[in-house]
Amino acid sequence: MSSVSHYTNNSNQILALDNISLTIEKGETIGVIGLNGSGKTTLLRIISGVYQPDSGSLLINGHLAPLLQIGTGFKEELDAEENIILYGLLLGFTKNEIKKKIDDIIRFAELEKFHKLKLKNYSAGMRSRLAFSTAIQINPDILLVDEILAVGDAVFKEKSFKAFLEFKKQNKTIVYTTHNINMILDLSDRVILIDQGRIVKIGKPSDVVSYYNEIIKSHNTTNDKIF
Amino acid sequence: MIKFPLVELFDKRSLILHFSWMNIKLRFKGSYLGLIWTGLEPLLMFLILFVVFSSIREVPEENFGIYLITGVLFYHMFSRGTSTGLVSLKENSSILKSFKIKKELFPVIATVTTCILLFVEIGVLFSLMPVFEFTPGWNIVFLPVLLMLFLILVLGISYILSVLYVYVKDIQPFWTIFVYALLFVSPIFWYTSEVDGILLNIQQINPFGQLVEMAHKIIVFNENPSLLEWISTTIIIFGILFVGFIMFKKLESKIVEQL
Repeated sequence: MSSVSHYTNNSNQILALDNISLTIEKGETIGVIGLNGSGKTTLLRIISGVYQPDSGSLLINGHLAPLLQIGTGFKEELDAEENIILYGLLLGFTKNEIKKKIDDIIRFAELEKFHKLKLKNYSAGMRSRLAFSTAIQINPDILLVDEILAVGDAVFKEKSFKAFLEFKKQNKTIVYTTHNINMILDLSDRVILIDQGRIVKIGKPSDVVSYYNEIIKSHNTTNDKIF
Repeated sequence: MIKFPLVELFDKRSLILHFSWMNIKLRFKGSYLGLIWTGLEPLLMFLILFVVFSSIREVPEENFGIYLITGVLFYHMFSRGTSTGLVSLKENSSILKSFKIKKELFPVIATVTTCILLFVEIGVLFSLMPVFEFTPGWNIVFLPVLLMLFLILVLGISYILSVLYVYVKDIQPFWTIFVYALLFVSPIFWYTSEVDGILLNIQQINPFGQLVEMAHKIIVFNENPSLLEWISTTIIIFGILFVGFIMFKKLESKIVEQL
């Protein structure tokens, strides 16, 4: 179980998150939705420990693997295996632990043919697969995913969806952000809607999504002239 | 609460060593001369200084060549080590933004990288000895201790510079000029016996200069620096490490947002 309570975050005088308070139970899959700039990434960064809140506290129970920006931590001049080791070390594992998993990771990512190639020659989809595969194989208790599934072909989307389901079966916790409403409806136990730094709605996926659609509609009805 | 830093560092030794080694590997990837450049840079600097100063004046002591190369090597490593440490947080901003990782690891990784390069430089030193028909005395066994102190000095300074650099970019040009000044106020191409007045005063409080002078004694003159010298230098260097680390911890919380 992880809980986050009452914090505000000021960056460059912008109030990125205001008075967020939430509790996430073990095994829950939480989808976070909201318009761009609403604070989703900031929220994930705080939960993963990348940012420290200006006030409030954060309690995490279990090992957490963040998938925040795809391919960061990857060194372009190195090949897949070397990058898996780097990535795994950053996620908190020892070199030996990761080395044992390298083959599984490459196989899951379907990169057997490319594993000796330098990362700079990888497409965005290949990077996503590699990062995702590494994070999943390392088997954390909590997985944080920030919109990385936007990049990647249909095959990868299918594969990652299946991986998420497997993850859920093992009673692991997932917190993810996406603009893909279908995924939100299919995968999430609960959905959080963030708007301008505040949790506007939290609850059943269908309820929150309809509320979100209302918000989007209200933005579209303002008569901005394009030309 | 700050856990005792050494314990944390030991836990993360796998990551530190691997990242340092990768830094070395990446630095020289694609270049033909590769690691040799680490030795070539100070060597060229040494040659220029050697030729110029040998012809400008009467060299009072013998072994000026070894004296000079010792100073130049330490200077080169100090310059490289501190400038790498300075950018260590900025350069890894994408990692810091995506993973929960202890920020103080990055100056440490930079210093371990410097440590590895230090071995290359010491290799250069020893390979030049036959050229100058020089054999070191037994006092050279103290060299590893001196190198340890040197690395601790670099680390302490890296803690200070790296965290300040995130907030104040001007630190970088300022430090460049400061290091440039060190070339002249440290006994690299002059002897402490030759100078008095302000240069001597600066030397008393310049920990880098103190280390260089101790290196001269150990390597060139085959003397053991006095106990007072060892103690005072050690205290100053650990003092800098302590202050640097505390400063780092105090300022670190908003680093990631600033990057």
